[in-house]
Amino acid sequence: MMLMPPFTLHHPTSVDQACALAAQLMESGEAFDWVAGGTDLLPNYKWHINTKPHVISLARIDGTSTISAQELGCMVRLSDLTEENGVHPVIVQAASKVASSLIRTNATLGGNLCLDTRCFWYNQGEDWRRSIDWCHKADCGTGADCRVIPNQNTLCVATYQGDIAPTLMVLGATVHLIGPNGARSLPLESFYQLDGMKKNVLEEGEFLLKVTLPDDAANRTGSYQKLRVRDSWDFPEAGVAASWVKGDPSSLVIATTALESIPRCHPEEVASVLEAGWSGSESVKALSTAVQKSVKPVNNTALPPRYRRSMVRVLTKRAVQGLLE
Amino acid sequence: MSGGYRQQPGGAGKVTRKDGKRVAGKQAFPPPGSGGSKPEMAPRDLDFIPEMVGGKEAQPAGAHVHDRARTGTTVGKPTALVDSNAKVTGQAWYGDDVRLSNEVIGKILRSPHHYAKIKSIDTSKVEALPGVLAVATGADSPHQFGVLPVTKDEHAMAVEKVRHVGDLVACVAAVDEATAMEALNLFEVEYEVLEPVFDPKKGLEDTDEPIHWRGKYHLARTNVQKRVFQEFGDRSLVEKPLASSHGKWNMAGVHHGFTEPHAVVAHWDPNGRLQLYTPQQVPHYTHRALATVLDVPMHQINVIRTFVGGGFGGKSDPFPHEMCAAILARKSGRPVRITFDREEVYWINRGRHPSHIEVKMTADEDARISGFDIDALIDGGGFASFGHVTSYYNGVLATAPYELGSFHYTGARVWTNKPASGAMRGHGAVNTRCAVEVGLDEMAEQMKVDPIDLRLANLLPPHSRTISGFRITSNGMREALEKVREGSNWDDKFRQMPLGKGIGIGCGFFISGSGLPIHWDPNRFPHATVHIQVDMDGGVTVHTGAADIGQGSTTAVAQVVSEVLALPLEMIHVRSHESDTSPVDLGSYSSRVTFMNANAAIRAALEIREQLLKAAWEILGYHPNNLVLNDRRIYYKHDPAIGVSYLKALHKAQEDKGALIASGAYRSPPMGGVHKGAAAGLAPAYSFSAYVAEVDVDVETGMIKCTNVWAAHDCGKALNPLAVKGQIIGSCHMGLGQVLSEKMVYGRTGHLQNPNLLEYKIPSVHEMPHVEPIIIESCDPEGPFGAKEAGEGPLLPILPAVVNAVYDAIGIRLRDLPLTPDVVFKGIEKGMKAAGVDDPLDLQAPRVEHGSLQPVLVERAAEHKIRDRARQRSEDTDPYVNGVLFGFDPNIPLEDQVEGWRMATEPDPEQLAALGLAGKAWLKKEQRHMGGDE
Repeated sequence: MMLMPPFTLHHPTSVDQACALAAQLMESGEAFDWVAGGTDLLPNYKWHINTKPHVISLARIDGTSTISAQELGCMVRLSDLTEENGVHPVIVQAASKVASSLIRTNATLGGNLCLDTRCFWYNQGEDWRRSIDWCHKADCGTGADCRVIPNQNTLCVATYQGDIAPTLMVLGATVHLIGPNGARSLPLESFYQLDGMKKNVLEEGEFLLKVTLPDDAANRTGSYQKLRVRDSWDFPEAGVAASWVKGDPSSLVIATTALESIPRCHPEEVASVLEAGWSGSESVKALSTAVQKSVKPVNNTALPPRYRRSMVRVLTKRAVQGLLE
Repeated sequence: MSGGYRQQPGGAGKVTRKDGKRVAGKQAFPPPGSGGSKPEMAPRDLDFIPEMVGGKEAQPAGAHVHDRARTGTTVGKPTALVDSNAKVTGQAWYGDDVRLSNEVIGKILRSPHHYAKIKSIDTSKVEALPGVLAVATGADSPHQFGVLPVTKDEHAMAVEKVRHVGDLVACVAAVDEATAMEALNLFEVEYEVLEPVFDPKKGLEDTDEPIHWRGKYHLARTNVQKRVFQEFGDRSLVEKPLASSHGKWNMAGVHHGFTEPHAVVAHWDPNGRLQLYTPQQVPHYTHRALATVLDVPMHQINVIRTFVGGGFGGKSDPFPHEMCAAILARKSGRPVRITFDREEVYWINRGRHPSHIEVKMTADEDARISGFDIDALIDGGGFASFGHVTSYYNGVLATAPYELGSFHYTGARVWTNKPASGAMRGHGAVNTRCAVEVGLDEMAEQMKVDPIDLRLANLLPPHSRTISGFRITSNGMREALEKVREGSNWDDKFRQMPLGKGIGIGCGFFISGSGLPIHWDPNRFPHATVHIQVDMDGGVTVHTGAADIGQGSTTAVAQVVSEVLALPLEMIHVRSHESDTSPVDLGSYSSRVTFMNANAAIRAALEIREQLLKAAWEILGYHPNNLVLNDRRIYYKHDPAIGVSYLKALHKAQEDKGALIASGAYRSPPMGGVHKGAAAGLAPAYSFSAYVAEVDVDVETGMIKCTNVWAAHDCGKALNPLAVKGQIIGSCHMGLGQVLSEKMVYGRTGHLQNPNLLEYKIPSVHEMPHVEPIIIESCDPEGPFGAKEAGEGPLLPILPAVVNAVYDAIGIRLRDLPLTPDVVFKGIEKGMKAAGVDDPLDLQAPRVEHGSLQPVLVERAAEHKIRDRARQRSEDTDPYVNGVLFGFDPNIPLEDQVEGWRMATEPDPEQLAALGLAGKAWLKKEQRHMGGDE
């Protein structure tokens, strides 16, 4: 059903106003969603997935479009993440691979980081979901089971399919959240939280205001590798980001996306390879295998999990290829 | 004067400004057609007049019966489609663009179950909802319909059972969409869930509750809707093969993926007639089905075909939602509009059948193809649709372009609890063609010969008969193969490129119009009729029922009329939208429109031309044989100064009778065999094509990128080369989707997992290779100006060309379509195991060293080339039937000269045990032979 369900759209113009509005809605027990570019939320609304009566837009809040090497506001459009704007090349690489150019002109950095997790059994129209008797993530009050892995009613295994998060992770980004209960900052790595329904640490009424990068991020180089069927507009089926300080393997950081419910870094796998001593292509091989073994994709995207997992090895190898030069 | 002659009488008004421009409203209107804004007659365009009638257009394939009707006006010239302005300015009215005053919105309640009995439907709450104007269920529409008269198994809404998730259960009309959607939640339906069948192999087995019941014709208690057996030729030829190929294919179902979702508006006008607006490829069948379902005579229904936003076969069935809209409109007394969401489009489906295809083939010591043995089990989903025909096409359309020693086909179509499969571009021929062409590639490799030479030395010539009795007329297969070989630089690339780079060949063969009009006797009624009317203004109105679905049939009809009458295209107005005004036409399927409709249009235009020339004769005193029809002027052949304007001649012709009217029709000639199923695949002409594709395969990921395609298609004569090239490129796009990324994914629970355009992966412009369209013109003797189809045939070769190219790149034969990266990677892993390597980059690309058969084939191909040219130009008119290559005499029936020559449509009892997967359907008996006839 493609008819958008009705909702009230709010347009706060300052962070304070936004927080006050959120607090007010929470107090009156009214559910709401935040919307930035709308390219993720609105298609789901059209499919009648977890719709809310209120939607608060971040679009008119002052200062949310800051763009520099050190700071990226939540409303920065993906199409503005360019090297000309001083954005780190690895982020640019990932951003340029998100969806299609049309969507990138609307989609935002904040929206991409807070992307809803995706699943074959979830991103469907209402009639379709009725035919499977709903699912855990959008159970319509039925307490439905997970359809990917049945008979486990505790976890949602929907997949996080954002491209930009792993690149920000390997550059050491910090996210800044704000809400009625005040502001807080934390490393992007700790922002994401299992499971596919919880997705991240954002509490009710809280939203992601901006991302900052450490000064030394500029010294890092790296790469983002994306697996997808079509080079245009497909979500990643697997993604691997890597960064390092030029000529220094010990500085290597690797993060993966689109393989589990959250994107994450792989410090243990990197450490174990470095411990054995860096030996060029042999180490790359060991590292690729270690990262591959550490991820557990499930069958809820276009390509089968076994294949996606196999490809993590290839993507990792390609992501760190620059380290061998 | 630029070689032109001033129109006359023309230019009556002389009111002009000093600067020479006209003054609006002040000038006498010049008689249209006598010049208008183009007062000069254009000179004859000799480049587009055939050499046989004095022009400069080369005719290597010989003369054509329509040559004398050529005027050099539009035929053969790249022409923008006549409806393109409406489309690019957004003014074309597609299904959902129809807005009638007072309209209400219809929505359909769909089954949440794969298979269930409907025990009861309570609509009382729905009816009580304010804003709801009408509710209908299966009880309102007991009459069955279906696109084929032999398999009417559909209802407007489920009557007893629902047969797949998304099957129609009930419908509601309400004042707006939100109310209609709310109403859907108020239906109370009680179901008794039944055990569904998803696997077509299971469909061959007996079951308690078959999805449909055909009474005494039902095959035991299975879900087999149709079984086919066909065997021709000398089966002893396959016994000692020099080479053989045996491939088991698994092909996923694919959908047309047209842009416009289905939409319909129904309105009962004040006189009680139904006006139904729908984007249909085949409005006439909808017309018939509506009459049946609504119990209203056909003359009380006007079917209005809106612009069609892509069809490809997916809008050629009469659809249940069209019936629903009509029923709701009748009940509510208001116009009702129903527009589908994308997931509803996938649920109504009619896409290409998911198929299990097994092909065995053999070649003898002379590298002749001694046998094709094809078994096709196709998954029909919940309804019959076109499946009866598809069951035949999967076999019989593989009987050309090659000469075969024998042919054996078993096919079965089974019902499953999935959305119904149906006709899709290249109907029934695509999957088997892919399997056959890949098999040939494999045999060529075994025989150490070039696969193109293997094909060139085994082609049926023009004007021949296939092993199953199809009459081949023009045949440009050889030229197509030669052109792509040359264009792609094949001889420097094949089996010579590094690992990961490959090149492959594939051919195609397709009908140019189904020879049998399924609703009537072809010997009594025509396939197509066209009416032309020319009134005093000189404009030509053409009435045709041909459904333009974007392929440009309206333009083709306008072009041929414009060509015959030598009038600019702007003066031809095609009216094809309404059944009230259009003569009956079977619609846009089986690639019939240009061939049949343009032929009918030429006939009608010739009649008008005759009347014009007769009038000119009376004015000028020269016999029509000495008159030339050129741009809005008719003149004496030997002195162009002596002439008369088109309009003057027209008015002369109109004296005493007013507007000129002519009717033209097309009927196919008698043809084909008499065996059961002989009509399936019969066509008045066939198209041929050969493609070479080049691919890059990432051996580490299995990702395939098709980089270049050389695509040669024999369309007889390109009436509009721009449209033909568009069809070729579009076909490549669609075929690439099927071979590389598109599939309807049915998951663990049998649900269609990807009913949307994000997860149903149609290639985007980024995935498109460079396509070099090559038009081959074999000048078909019966086609309009020599033309044959170009809409479906060009899709066929791209699949095998890509699969063969992937083999050339990585040395691995893959037979699971689509070749998504995971499928390719799985193949690569197997290949690595077989080769004993750990790194895919260490795999070896295949190489070839030609054996002793290669020069034999080259020599035979060269001889055949001379043979074919003589036959094509009718310099050699001796009969040629499949079998001559094997030494048989074409003048004596084959069964009289070959012991064991078979022509069978049922298996011999001793064959039963050895039949393939689909062939197992022949182990079952029909109810009437089982003693039961329930």
